[in-house]
Amino acid sequence: MKVLLVDDSGTMRTIQRRCLSKLGIEDVTEAEDGQQALEFFERQQFDVVLSDWNMPVMDGLTLLKEIRQRNKDIPVVMITTEAERARVVTAIQAGCSDYLVKPFTPDGLKEKLEKWITINT
Amino acid sequence: MTTAIMSSAELTAEYINPVITATKSVFETMLGCTPKRTGLHLKDAKAAPYAISAVIGISGRAAGTIVVSMTEQAAIAVLDRFLDIQADEINTEVCDAVGELTNMIAGAAKAQLERYELSISIPNIVSGPNHNIHYTSEVKPICIVYESEIGSFSIEVGFSNLK
Repeated sequence: MKVLLVDDSGTMRTIQRRCLSKLGIEDVTEAEDGQQALEFFERQQFDVVLSDWNMPVMDGLTLLKEIRQRNKDIPVVMITTEAERARVVTAIQAGCSDYLVKPFTPDGLKEKLEKWITINT
Repeated sequence: MTTAIMSSAELTAEYINPVITATKSVFETMLGCTPKRTGLHLKDAKAAPYAISAVIGISGRAAGTIVVSMTEQAAIAVLDRFLDIQADEINTEVCDAVGELTNMIAGAAKAQLERYELSISIPNIVSGPNHNIHYTSEVKPICIVYESEIGSFSIEVGFSNLK
C-alpha cells in the first residue's frame, strides 16, 4: 500500500509516518504542501492520501479538489486543526473521505488510519 | 440605526476561555501533561524571559494574534514529548514542534468561536533571548502564564476592534 502524506509540519508527518509503520505501511511519500503533493500525485499511484488543511503554497482543501478532478475514488483523509462544523461540511462536499481533528490521541490516529488501510487491502 | 461595535478588549476577553480550554486539551492529548495556569494579566511592555515564540494571525469576522512563548527547556521538551527526540538547543525540529503545538491551540480555540468564522495563519517562529512581540496600538493583549511538567510558558491573545 502506498500512502501520500501531506503536512507542512515535519513533526506531524513524523507522528503519522510512525503510526503507519506500526500498521505495516512503509511506502509513504511525504509532501510539505499541497502543490508538492499534487506533483507527486500526478507522477505516482497512491492508495490513500492523508492531508493537512492549512499549508503554504496550496492548502489541503484545494489539494482535495484537485485530486478529485483527477480521481473520484481514492480515499482522502483530512487531518487538521479545522474543527468547525462548517469546515467539516466544506471538506465533505469537496469529496474528503474522512476527517480527523488535531489534537488526536495515538489510538485515535491509529483507529482512523486502520479503517482506510483495512478497506484498501 | 446604530452599528454595534465590539471593542478589542471585549473580543480578547471572549477568546481567553477558549484558549484556556484548548491549551489544556492540547497539552493533555499531545504532551501527556496538564498545564497549571499561574497568571492572567495585560501584557507587559517589557520582554518576557522566553527563548522562543510561535505567532499565529487570526482573521475573519475578527482579527487578532495568538502567541505561545516558552523557555528553551520547555520547547526542547515539546519536541521530546511529541517525537521522543532529545535536542540540545532550539533547532529546526524544535521550532516546528512549537509551531505545531501553537497551531493546535489556536485551532481548538477558534473552533469554540464558530460565529466569528475565523481563519488562522501558518505559525511564524521567533527565537532568541529577550525577544518581544509587538502589537498595533489599539490592541491590548492579555497574557496567560502557565507552569507545567515541561516548563514555563505563556500565551498572549490580542484582537483589534470588531466593527
